[in-house]
Amino acid sequence: MSTEDLDVTTQGDLSCPSCGAPRQPGDRFCERCGARLDEPQPTDGDLRVELDLGNAAAVSDQGLVHHRNEDSFHLEVTDGRDVVVVICDGISSASAGNVAARDAAKAAGTVLSRAIADPDSDPRDAIVEGIKAAVEAVIQVEWTTRVKRVDPSCTLVSALCRNGGITVGWVGDSRAYWFDADDASQLTIDDSFAEEGIAKGLLTPEQAAKSPFLHSITHWVGPDAPERPPRLVELRPERPGRLVLCTDGLWNYAPSARELGGLIDALPPGAAPAAVARSLADMANDRGGHDNITVAVVDIDPSAA
Amino acid sequence: MSAFTTECYQNAYLPLGASEVNAIITVTSDGVAGQAEQPEAAEIVIIDTSGSMGTPSRKIKAARQATEVAIDCIRDGVAFGVIAGTEVARAVYPTDGTLAIASPQTRLGATRALNRLEAGGGTAIGSWLALAGKLFATVSGRSCHAILLTDGENQHETDEDLDRVLADLEGRFQCDCRGVGTDWKVSELRRIASALLGSVDIIAEPTAMADDFQALMEAAMGKATGNVSLRVWTPQGASVAFVRQVAPTIEELTGRGVQVNPLTADYPTATWGRESRDYHVCINVAPREIGDEMLAARVSLVEGEEPRAQALIKATWTDDRQLSTRINREVAHYTGQAELAECIQQGLEARKDGDLGTATFKLGRAVQLATESGNDGTMKLLQGVVQVDDAATGTVRLKHDIAALDEMSLDTRSTSTVRVGPGAT
Repeated sequence: MSTEDLDVTTQGDLSCPSCGAPRQPGDRFCERCGARLDEPQPTDGDLRVELDLGNAAAVSDQGLVHHRNEDSFHLEVTDGRDVVVVICDGISSASAGNVAARDAAKAAGTVLSRAIADPDSDPRDAIVEGIKAAVEAVIQVEWTTRVKRVDPSCTLVSALCRNGGITVGWVGDSRAYWFDADDASQLTIDDSFAEEGIAKGLLTPEQAAKSPFLHSITHWVGPDAPERPPRLVELRPERPGRLVLCTDGLWNYAPSARELGGLIDALPPGAAPAAVARSLADMANDRGGHDNITVAVVDIDPSAA
Repeated sequence: MSAFTTECYQNAYLPLGASEVNAIITVTSDGVAGQAEQPEAAEIVIIDTSGSMGTPSRKIKAARQATEVAIDCIRDGVAFGVIAGTEVARAVYPTDGTLAIASPQTRLGATRALNRLEAGGGTAIGSWLALAGKLFATVSGRSCHAILLTDGENQHETDEDLDRVLADLEGRFQCDCRGVGTDWKVSELRRIASALLGSVDIIAEPTAMADDFQALMEAAMGKATGNVSLRVWTPQGASVAFVRQVAPTIEELTGRGVQVNPLTADYPTATWGRESRDYHVCINVAPREIGDEMLAARVSLVEGEEPRAQALIKATWTDDRQLSTRINREVAHYTGQAELAECIQQGLEARKDGDLGTATFKLGRAVQLATESGNDGTMKLLQGVVQVDDAATGTVRLKHDIAALDEMSLDTRSTSTVRVGPGAT
């Protein structure tokens, strides 16, 4: 798919997916037809859900191989500016991974959405509390099968963007990246054998990428998860840029920040977050779509904070 | 300015294909207004001084006393006046075609003028209200309220005359109507009170008049916010089936909506003190797919053009019958209260027409509804007209000799509702 095919809408030109009436970022319902706006909208026969909130957008796609989407996300914009985003990837070797991902994203999202409304809350605490709530939620998930006897579990990457600051916390191998005019960097370090091997000097990145243990994660959200706090990273960008959160269904096809940034740079300048998210998900499908693909894109402008 | 809060009670879940969305909106006003913010008020007391008010003479005497008590309740600075009504209307105080500004002197002046009031002449209520409208117009910008007292039927003008006057006065002032004795017509006063957003009640004994007038005037003085409307937005393709105040009394507002834009209408609610009212809003929407959620209506309280509070009425279509078949308790309760009022009015009407079968059936159903909902006040009034054999099934017998007072009390107060109690379902 070429970039000309993209529906590149600019921020502020939002419309209701149901009736096409114009809408404002942050509207929960369409002012003309009353349709719910801040819920992910199914497209393409339910294989994909999209949520366009103006300065932030997310896409979750089933991919071309899996028979169901075990990824889930929570995205929220308050006051047209502050953003809460959570992405979870249900672990498919466990039972009910889709339910675990859904409940974890919802639980963490609820905690973060409360925190963002409270100006005195500490974003680091909120991220940690959100992940705790996700663990609690996943513990409640019932097994759909007892054959494998693996507890329902998922990965989680979450971000709270407020007053120009970004706080990211994660468990597992879902990632966060930062892109601006001069910089393309991966903010997270996977909780995986591969990354730990690299960190310990046992593997080169090239070896790790080929390692059969690339996707063996060392930390996850679930009842049997190792007792260890989630990792956090904070960022206070000086220039406008984009925060991208995604599951391995996307980054498998463009693992380094440079590659992923190159794909975004190929888009027309001023492409809205929704257009960026869509094109990244399409790219993953174009390259095989071997896993569920979920990507969230948040535009950050420190001068507007 | 007062603070308004809203609560919305509804079951938002609809089965596939359903299009009717019901909700009860509770609106509460804290009635707190800074002295400076309190709207300047204007008050007029309209007393029937037709010939019948002189028989017995204690009736006119009680009316004079009650008016005196009401005037004593008016705070300094409020514009006020007194109108005496016969087949024509006459300003008793002040007499210069305007309203007086309340002070110890003007209150004394009004009391003296009242003492000279005598009964004699006919009844033309429309002309009384028209004069009140003219006097209120001299103090434009104030929040205007009148108390109307009568003891008889409107005889010296046609129904059309009265309708014309009411259409002209709607929205200009609020009027609480009181009928004393049993020679007045409930439907007539209800029509006036309803058009002018006021209450209607019966005063059985002239001696009870002073207390009632005092309560009315104190309530009027406690109103902190005027010109408040219930603003209802519905999406394109949806329509308002009805908007009705359901507590403390039932008032149909559906026909009174003023279109603000193609999707929004304002329904008048007049003035608010420290009080709470419930509204039943019913919206017809175009059905959507299973899993779809939509905003069926946004109900907000607007003071002038300022939004004060809002409530969202939502609809979600589901194939889970457990969810969609559950009727919301508040909606069910007030649907019952509206039916109760209707049954009483239809029952009494049928009885007047000599259709005793229908009367017994309707009043029996009313007894059943009043019992179910714990509306003890209405139940007591119903017992004045029927012998209750079994309240649960609504088995009743019409009483042979029904006192006019009992019948009129039941009719007048049929629109009084109770809120959802712990025992009600």
